[in-house]
Amino acid sequence: MTALLARDPRAPLDGDLVAIASTRRRASTDWILVGSAFALACVGALLVWSATRSEQLGAHLDPQAYLYRHLLNMAIGGVLLGLAARVDARLLRLLGPIVYAMSLLGLAAVFVVGSTVNGAHAWIVVGGGFELQPAEFMKLGLILGMAVMFAQRGAERQTIQPTSSDVLIAVALIAVPLGMIMLQPDLGSAMVLCTAALGVLIAADVPARWTVGLISAGVAGVIFAVRMGVLAHYQLARFAAFTHPNVDRQGVAYNITQAHIAVANGGWFGTGLFHGPQTNGAFVPEQQTDFVFSVAGEELGFIGSIAIIGLFAVVCWRGLRIARRADRAGRLVAAGIVSWFAFQAFQNIGMNLGLTPVTGLPLPFVSYGGSSMFAEGIAVGLLVAIGRRPARTDR
Amino acid sequence: MGDRRLRLLGVLVASLVLTLSGRLYFVQVLDTNKPVQTAGYLHEGTIVLPAARGQIVDDQGRPLINDIATHVVTVSWETLQNQADKGKAVLSKLAALIGVTEHDLAQQTTPCGPKVPAPCWTGEPYQPVPVMTNAPDSVVLGVSEHREDFPGVAVQTTTVRNYPGGSLAAQLLGYAGAVSADDEKSDATLNDADTIGRAGLEEQYDSVLRGVDGAQTVLLDPRGQVVGNGKTQEPTQGDTLVTSIDAGVQAAAEKALSDEIAAVRKSGKPATSGAVVVMDPNTGRVIAAASYPTYNPQLFVGGISVADYQKLTAPSANDPLVGRAISGQYAPGSTFKLITASSLVQNNEISLTGHYPCPGSLSIDGRVKTNYDSEAFSYPLTLKQALDVSCDTFFYAPAAQEYHTDQSKIDAGGQASEFLQKTAAAFGIGTTPGVDLPKDEQASGSYADRETRQARWNTDKSTYCAQAAAGYPDVKDAAQRAYLTALAKENCTDGWRYRAGDNADMAIGQGETTVSPLQLAVAYSAMLNGGTIWNPTLGWAVVDKTGKVVKTINPTVKSKVPTDRSTLNYIANSLHFTADHTVSGALAFDGAPYKTSIGGKTGTAEVEGNQDTSWLASWGPIGTDAAGNPTARFVVVGMIEQAGTGASAAAPMVRSVYNALLGVGQATALPNASAVTTLPAIVPSGQVATR
Repeated sequence: MTALLARDPRAPLDGDLVAIASTRRRASTDWILVGSAFALACVGALLVWSATRSEQLGAHLDPQAYLYRHLLNMAIGGVLLGLAARVDARLLRLLGPIVYAMSLLGLAAVFVVGSTVNGAHAWIVVGGGFELQPAEFMKLGLILGMAVMFAQRGAERQTIQPTSSDVLIAVALIAVPLGMIMLQPDLGSAMVLCTAALGVLIAADVPARWTVGLISAGVAGVIFAVRMGVLAHYQLARFAAFTHPNVDRQGVAYNITQAHIAVANGGWFGTGLFHGPQTNGAFVPEQQTDFVFSVAGEELGFIGSIAIIGLFAVVCWRGLRIARRADRAGRLVAAGIVSWFAFQAFQNIGMNLGLTPVTGLPLPFVSYGGSSMFAEGIAVGLLVAIGRRPARTDR
Repeated sequence: MGDRRLRLLGVLVASLVLTLSGRLYFVQVLDTNKPVQTAGYLHEGTIVLPAARGQIVDDQGRPLINDIATHVVTVSWETLQNQADKGKAVLSKLAALIGVTEHDLAQQTTPCGPKVPAPCWTGEPYQPVPVMTNAPDSVVLGVSEHREDFPGVAVQTTTVRNYPGGSLAAQLLGYAGAVSADDEKSDATLNDADTIGRAGLEEQYDSVLRGVDGAQTVLLDPRGQVVGNGKTQEPTQGDTLVTSIDAGVQAAAEKALSDEIAAVRKSGKPATSGAVVVMDPNTGRVIAAASYPTYNPQLFVGGISVADYQKLTAPSANDPLVGRAISGQYAPGSTFKLITASSLVQNNEISLTGHYPCPGSLSIDGRVKTNYDSEAFSYPLTLKQALDVSCDTFFYAPAAQEYHTDQSKIDAGGQASEFLQKTAAAFGIGTTPGVDLPKDEQASGSYADRETRQARWNTDKSTYCAQAAAGYPDVKDAAQRAYLTALAKENCTDGWRYRAGDNADMAIGQGETTVSPLQLAVAYSAMLNGGTIWNPTLGWAVVDKTGKVVKTINPTVKSKVPTDRSTLNYIANSLHFTADHTVSGALAFDGAPYKTSIGGKTGTAEVEGNQDTSWLASWGPIGTDAAGNPTARFVVVGMIEQAGTGASAAAPMVRSVYNALLGVGQATALPNASAVTTLPAIVPSGQVATR
């Protein structure tokens, strides 16, 4: 760390002289990326509105309350995106460790001052009706931390191929926040964390035997811990809670069934916004957050839903495109962010379609929720920043 | 370089996108078997449909208690909440209509919650809140003819208990009341809408009368709003309890009782309370059991008001809720001589052929005990004569002798025989009669013996001694004070002692001897049925709503008296009324066509500080069975407290009951003037009578 900070933060991390030369050629902002993310958030605003208005009306509350809040979250996320996009990509070397460390502190703070929502002890109330979920920022923190570590150590060695000790450090960087998130417990975030880290490892050219080995070791470790009774009873109970992330009265099966009914209702063109009987009947619990895609499925139909999936595909495509053109640190960061978005969107939409198990994860940009929107805004901003300083010319 | 790796990531992402797209296409478009919203509402709610309680009918199928339909006005809070003003206008109009304040009505209908303190609606928000039971027609019409003015207000029909006979057999029937939280805790099938038997047959047979509640399942959306009805399980009406009570005989007994009490009061005696029991000695079934004073159980329907309850329980009301016939116990006086005579003969203390003196008075342990009015006979009497004229001194001597014999046995280190006590116990005195009523409504009667005397003294000794030492400073009258102090002193030192005088007192049904009118009827039944002491019954059969008899209730044999049939016959024959006035009490039946076909034993029990308790234990019409034993169709026991001699008060009252039983000056209350022996056919009735 000290060595890292002692260096001129603007010094290029890549040893590639050609790359250094080409960094001076500035590229423009990736408006396709930003536009896709913005479109997702706007669709999200409509879906959140539709998901909440009838229930709000029933409770004699403002039917637009969630809409306004979502728009506010979008605005804050947009500002954060703009700020992040202005960051000089070369500052990542400095920012990485700081964001990683602060996210870790946030996670630790949850255990001291956190509150419990839906069975997971994962939120910090910051006042003004805002609650922060440090796990959302940890995703970003881990990606930055790992990316900077790989790039930094590679630069010092003048070689790109990561060594075993690099991988072991990466494992340590993953293990600490992963353990803390598992204790909350928040299986969804833990899975995203692992996937994002995996994306970084893959992009970092870590030998396949390492990645395959790490995945196998992780699975074996979990099985061993559960089978051999290493875990205390309450920990097992928390693992059990993983399968019931939405602590509603009817359980997960009900949730899945209702979401499935809603999506199936949609058909080709959907029932039209605000006209979904499942949505208006508030049959699907957590419909503005984890199950927001079911609203799209019912009210926007296959056409609208496939468009949302398409927008995610565009975001990932633009992210990978940026990764391909970035310097080593930027490339790893972009790969991590793409892995994060791709997996989280897949997992979330998958559970709405009865494809993946239910875990408490928001649909990026679309779901109601401040912390995820902010973290995702920053992530898109960083992609933009990285894209604006390509490491090499488009080939 | 890492482009290969990025391409790998790209392929992975693409495969995820394709997977989702494919699945989405299947779920929304391809799937031919799409799931549809069926009963997948967030929850189902249940509205209890209370079962109508079963009827209680008499031996001829006439209802003693039935159910009538009544109108209940209900308010659906949930529906009110969906109105623009949250139902304020509706509540205001309804409050005016049913005559309560709008504020109270709003409180009553708002579901309880963390921010809603009592009074509030304790049920679920979707359940209609009953705001007025027994709604008069004006309210019913007001609501149902202006439905548009009362959205969320409904008129429902429910059933409540009805007593066609008014106060008839009130203490036997008992009453039903609202279910309490404790009841629900002990029985999960109970709920707020139910009623539960609280006394009498209503309590004893609650489980068969109650029926099975039905349920209306309602489908609720996640906000708890009713969106539809699910299945309905109709309530099952409670079974009908057929009793051996005959409404006609019961009414005659109650009228005879209240008329006689009125007459006795006119003559200046207090006649505070009384009872009549009519039973069939051959089957052990009770045909009537009247008690005075009485009350109207209708007061308890829909919950008794505080004022009414205070009125019923005020000292001046003299406990109308207590059924004297079965729950009360009184000194039996000479009616107890059935038991005394049985004991003396059976244990060879006197013989049926012997003659024994009947002096005007007798000194026992230095205390002089006299006959009633000190009547004296200069010649020795047979047991028959002694029973007929109800000589007390005749029985004192052998009872005192029995006591001394027992004391000798004790002095010799043996056990006292206590023949009299053992015989009393065999006749059912001292234990509950085992009738089908709640245990706490059955008096067990009492008598003194050595063991209980000692036990009581051990408990009360310190109190007696303290009273003796203090000398009753609160008592104003000096003579009374001296008497009480002397008594306390004696009790302090010698209270444990069972004396010859105690045994003599018991022989004539005095001292600590008490019986309930029902117990006496059971004892005299034994005299006429060869010695069987019944566990008598009021219930006869349980009939379900289809008219099927699901259970027959039969009296069981509690014990057999140890007395020979010949001795019982001797006593019965001795007390068989003749045309003259040989048998005490017969005078009251002069002119009755059935006079010589009944028998009876009077009792005039002295009660310290009160007028005498008047008794007549009687039976008739008397017949003879194949073996030549005397039989009777009925045993009738009458008792009036503070009313004078048995012959003067109880006897004329019992005569009125026989007039009804045997159809003198009126139609017979019972077909063929004998107890009904076949169960009445209960018409299948899913329906209840409307008002």
